[in-house]
Amino acid sequence: MIDAIQFSSFSEFIDMGGYAFNVWSVYALFAVFLVVNIMLPLRRHKQILRQQNRRRIVNNETEYIRKDDGPE
Amino acid sequence: MWFSKLGSPKWFYELTSKWLPWLIGAMVIFLTTGVIWALLYLPPDYQQGFTSRILVVHVAVAGSSLSFFPLMAVAGIITLVWRMKLADMVAKTAAVLGVWFSFLTLATGSIWGSVMWGTWWEWSDSRLVSMLFQFFLLMGVVSLRSALEDSDKAAKLCALLSIVGCINVVIIKYSVEWWNTLHQPASPLSMSTESPNGPEFWVATGVMIIGVYLFLSVSLILSTRNEILERERRSQWVQDLG
Repeated sequence: MIDAIQFSSFSEFIDMGGYAFNVWSVYALFAVFLVVNIMLPLRRHKQILRQQNRRRIVNNETEYIRKDDGPE
Repeated sequence: MWFSKLGSPKWFYELTSKWLPWLIGAMVIFLTTGVIWALLYLPPDYQQGFTSRILVVHVAVAGSSLSFFPLMAVAGIITLVWRMKLADMVAKTAAVLGVWFSFLTLATGSIWGSVMWGTWWEWSDSRLVSMLFQFFLLMGVVSLRSALEDSDKAAKLCALLSIVGCINVVIIKYSVEWWNTLHQPASPLSMSTESPNGPEFWVATGVMIIGVYLFLSVSLILSTRNEILERERRSQWVQDLG
C-alpha cells in the first residue's frame, strides 16, 4: 500500500511532477486554514480570561475601599 | 430531562476542558499522518499525476463542509423548541467555521480544476454553483447574526435559513448524479491495488477525513467555549475562572 517515497531528490519533491504551483498552493491554503481556526479562538480565550481577571481585581479593590470608608 | 444538563454551558465548558487535550492530540496525529502520506508516499494517478494530492485535501474539506447546515438546523430546532442557550451558541460559531470550510472547498477545487479541467470556474456546473450557494448562505447567516440586535429574532431567522441550507446540502450531494456536467461523481472505493482508486488513495483520504473532522470539532469547541465565557460573564462560575 505504501510503496515508498515517490521522489528521489528534494527538487523533484518540490516540482510535484510539474504541478508545483497547484499542489503547494492547496497545501499552503490548507495550513493557513488549520492554523487560523485554532489559534484565533485560543488567543481570544486568553484575552477573555485576562479581562475577567482585571475586572475581578477592580471589583475587589472597590469593595475594599467601600469597607474602609464605612463608619459601621 | 437528561439534556437539560447537557444544555448547561458550565457543564459543557468543564467537560470540554477534559476532552480538549485528547481531541487536539488525535487531530495532530491524523492530520500530520495524512499530509505526510499524501505529499510523500501517494503514487501519481494514471490520469492526474500528482494533482491527485490536491483531492486528498479537497475531498476531506468538501465532505465535512456539508455537515454544517444539518448541525445548525438541529441546533436551531433545539433552540426554538427547548430554548437551550448552548445550542444557539454552537449554531452561531458553526456558521463562521462553515464559511471557512466552504471557501477552502471552492478554492482547492478551483486550483485543481484549473489544470485538470482547464478552467477555474464553470457556471453551468451544478456541483460548483450549489457549493457557491452554500458559501453565500453561510455568509448570510453570519451577517444576519451580527446585524440583528434582538438575539431571539436572530436565532429564529438563522434556524429557518439553516433548514433552507439543508435542502441545498442534498442538492450539493446529488448534483453530480442528477445533472451530469463537469464535476465528477464520487469515486467508488476499491480494495484492489490495480484500481485507479485503490487503497493507496482512499486510505490516505480516509486518514485526512478523520483529521479534518477532528479539527472541525476542536475549532468548534474552542469558539463555543469563548462564546460561553462572553455570554455568561456575569455568572459566578465564570468570574471564578482565570
